[in-house]
Amino acid sequence: MNPPKQRRASLLLKPLLALPALLLSGCTMAGIRLFHPAGLVAGAEMHYTLILVITMLIIIVPTLLMTIIFPLRYHHSRNAKYTPDWHFSLTIELLAWGIPFAIVAFLCYLTIQGVYAVNPWAPGILANAPGARQPPINVEVIATDWQWVFVYPDQGIATIDDLVVPSGRVVHLQMTATSNMNGFYIPQVAPMVDAMPAMESRDAFELDQPATYTGFSTDFSGAGFSWMQFSTRVVPQAEFDSWVASVQANPNQLTYAAFQKIAQPTVNAGAKPAYFSAPDKNLFGEVMTAAMQGVVYPVPDSFTKRVSDNSAQGAQAPASPQ
Amino acid sequence: MQVAVDGPWSPLLGRLSLAAIPYDNPILVSTFAVVALLGIVIIGAALYFGKLGYIWREWLTTVDHKKIGVMYIILGLVMLFRGFMDGAMMRTQQLLADGPNSPGYLGAQHGYLPPYHFDQIYTAHGTLMLFFAATPLVAGLGNLIVPLQIGARDMAFPYLNATSLWLTVSGAALCMISLFVGEFSNATWVGLMPFSEMPTNPGVGVDYWMWAFQLSSIGTTFNAINMIATIVKMRAPGMRWFRMPVYCWSSLTTNIIGLSIFPVVTVALTMLGIDRYFGTHFFTAGYGGNFMLYVNLFWIWGHPEVYFLMLPAFGLFSEIVPTFSNKALFGYPTMVAASFSIGGIGWVVWAHHFFTMGMGPELNGYFSAATMLVGIPTGVKAFNWLFTMYRGRITYATPMLWALIGLVLLLIGGLTGMMLSASVFDYTVHNSLFVVAHFHCMVLVIGAALFAGVTYWWPKVFGFKLDERNGQMYFWTFVLASLLVFVPLFYLGFAGVTRRLDYIYNPALKPLLWVSEGGIGMYFVSLFYFGKMLYVSLRDQIPAQADAWGTGRTLEWLTHTPVPFYNFAVTPQINARDELAWRKAKGVEGVQPTHYVPIHLPSNTAVPVIIGALATVFGFAMTWRIWWLSIASLLAIIIVVIIRSFDKNEGYVLSAEDIAKMENQVALASIIAEQPKRPALAQVEAH
Repeated sequence: MNPPKQRRASLLLKPLLALPALLLSGCTMAGIRLFHPAGLVAGAEMHYTLILVITMLIIIVPTLLMTIIFPLRYHHSRNAKYTPDWHFSLTIELLAWGIPFAIVAFLCYLTIQGVYAVNPWAPGILANAPGARQPPINVEVIATDWQWVFVYPDQGIATIDDLVVPSGRVVHLQMTATSNMNGFYIPQVAPMVDAMPAMESRDAFELDQPATYTGFSTDFSGAGFSWMQFSTRVVPQAEFDSWVASVQANPNQLTYAAFQKIAQPTVNAGAKPAYFSAPDKNLFGEVMTAAMQGVVYPVPDSFTKRVSDNSAQGAQAPASPQ
Repeated sequence: MQVAVDGPWSPLLGRLSLAAIPYDNPILVSTFAVVALLGIVIIGAALYFGKLGYIWREWLTTVDHKKIGVMYIILGLVMLFRGFMDGAMMRTQQLLADGPNSPGYLGAQHGYLPPYHFDQIYTAHGTLMLFFAATPLVAGLGNLIVPLQIGARDMAFPYLNATSLWLTVSGAALCMISLFVGEFSNATWVGLMPFSEMPTNPGVGVDYWMWAFQLSSIGTTFNAINMIATIVKMRAPGMRWFRMPVYCWSSLTTNIIGLSIFPVVTVALTMLGIDRYFGTHFFTAGYGGNFMLYVNLFWIWGHPEVYFLMLPAFGLFSEIVPTFSNKALFGYPTMVAASFSIGGIGWVVWAHHFFTMGMGPELNGYFSAATMLVGIPTGVKAFNWLFTMYRGRITYATPMLWALIGLVLLLIGGLTGMMLSASVFDYTVHNSLFVVAHFHCMVLVIGAALFAGVTYWWPKVFGFKLDERNGQMYFWTFVLASLLVFVPLFYLGFAGVTRRLDYIYNPALKPLLWVSEGGIGMYFVSLFYFGKMLYVSLRDQIPAQADAWGTGRTLEWLTHTPVPFYNFAVTPQINARDELAWRKAKGVEGVQPTHYVPIHLPSNTAVPVIIGALATVFGFAMTWRIWWLSIASLLAIIIVVIIRSFDKNEGYVLSAEDIAKMENQVALASIIAEQPKRPALAQVEAH
């Protein structure tokens, strides 16, 4: 499992899989993010996907050919060989069970290896990553209805819908949610993991090159779900440090009381970011404890009804709590 | 104890008020106008032709498995149409609402459906397609064909069979009512937790969904009991287990699955109901509740449910491919083994629906590997069909075309399914349109099998074939439409488009969305040919032979076409696996019995349809929290069942002369013919 070999395999295999996409529409290729993984975790996902698909094609392609050839070859007009009573052959049955069995066994082996490599709790692939020598960047992610709150406990800052991380460092994410389940996902970067109320989940990634990605929620959580994007900006370490300093100087402070206002149902169309200094030291824990104790931020029917309605003026109007 | 609800509540009408009727929504109002007009036309036509009594006596109160099957199929097709319209609206919304500058119509910011409406539409689409289109079509074909293939007179429990049908209809009726009174659930067809709980979903939508689902799942449980009993106990003399057609085997496996899983979802929905009505915390996040519990319970039902629908489809292919290859099915014993393997593995793979909920690599690894195992018996089935065609004499009749495209779709769906079963890949496309495209490929396999099955057995039931020319046009347009709609969805999934989006933020995806929309247009063309096929076939009604396709192999082709309501004049003696093929080989397929013996048949009863109507009222009353009406309708159901249990009617006897007369003039015994009133057995004995 050494990374350079994987990269080479991916380079070879990538054009193969991309071919049908090119055939369909050249202009949309850039949008097909799966083929442009960034970082080791997404690279490993892509690597395993390609090997799995190619292994499966060993059986799918011949079967597809048989499905096309047999009906043509044995059409009644062709007068091909006809054996109406031939209905069993031990050899064919053994092959019919044996070949899929062998292929599935190999796929299982690969998949289980892959699951450990990209396990969001502790990706095996990141264990020897260049960034693993430095301490990780910890980010606490809280999914509200319908925004993402990112808390940096070590830096003492927090943001809404803007995840900024330095390049070349391993990022550890701890996730929870206020009321509803959401899927946390940055395509090309990190595995998709659900952020759930009263539960803690994790994710991790490391990126070497500065870039910007769009993340979003993948698990339906209510009327504002479609607008739950956030930007993920990977910046050089120096730029990250100056960004942290600028946010630390922000007068807005994220106390638990301020968070309770933010956590009211809000549609943040266009993912407009907000920044806070001095977040409550134990905000993440407080949110989880509150959810366990039954705190829910209710979504009244009247609010659901007017989300993204023209009358709601772009649906940015936060609802009052009941 | 009882949960307080948002908004007004009165003891008489519960939460129901005039405000519940969405008369301000032009889409719903026009839909209502069309539905109401259709209803008036149908009832008016029935009145005009004086057929109301006929419909009541011969159809609504029937216990004949074939008529029940036909009504299941009609329900399935109607709901398939509504589900398709929902799908068309969803694709159009996503096409229009693409990018921040996309236009808004009808009061929506983007597209023409605000989330409130859009979320209900996709919830309804999933719910209708699974519970009220696919399930009734599968159950309907099973009802029609299984008793005929095993040489039985009827199902083991005809009255229970009718009750299953009418409970399913009552669920569908609730879905239709929700369109015009109140709202439907917006919490997806799987019922997301804790989102479906009261604080985040205080409206009546989830209640509608819950009761529609609950009633139909009880109906399906009854149907499973009935099918298993029928197959185990009512096979004709000489039909040993390994002489049973593969379709019956797949029905048996499927209903064993059904019987084991539907009670799970009944319990899960009951717990959700207790949460919503009494404020308990089974599935909430807080107060010690656990929504993971619901997710597990739901998918312990939900994944086997996929095979519950898929195995009958495989069974249909196993009947159709040999007939149109004019050759015995290849590898019969391994086909049976493969059905049981698929059913068995289906029970232990449910957690692959939530790899992203953080189960850790041990569990994700296990569920990935277990899921992949399904590929083995499925592959075996594909190979056996292929080797059935190998060295056969194939004709491309419409059912065979559907079976062939089903096989191709199975390969695409199988490939993408195996990809998704690897959690390392699932982490990248879970809940995306890739998943949507995958399972639509799979349900299209089921759809292809059902269209194949309906076309294949249509002449057996009605006495004339569906028009081949228009049937093939329907086939080709449908296949083209399916490819146009769903192939782009695979790519959109790779591009990071999540499912259930009311608004897509990336405008660069427009071309793919247009291709998909083109497919929707093509579906409308195929719908035209479907209608034309029905019209031409009904107009011409060219009589079909007993063995309508000329190469039938199984028992059902032995009896008359159209099949008499008593199925077989004399219960056949089974000599071989492919009984008709065996008789043809011996040259005895045309031999008629010399004398007939009286046949004992069950009398029609209005009880099932009354139970169905009361169940609809019960579901409606519970949804709107009209307590007096809920209690009254529930009591009424119990009373009706008690009254029925004192009924001394033990069916009637069809005399030998009657049978002889109808055997000579088959149209008299057709399921469409109105039967003269025959005295019930209890009354006969009283004389």
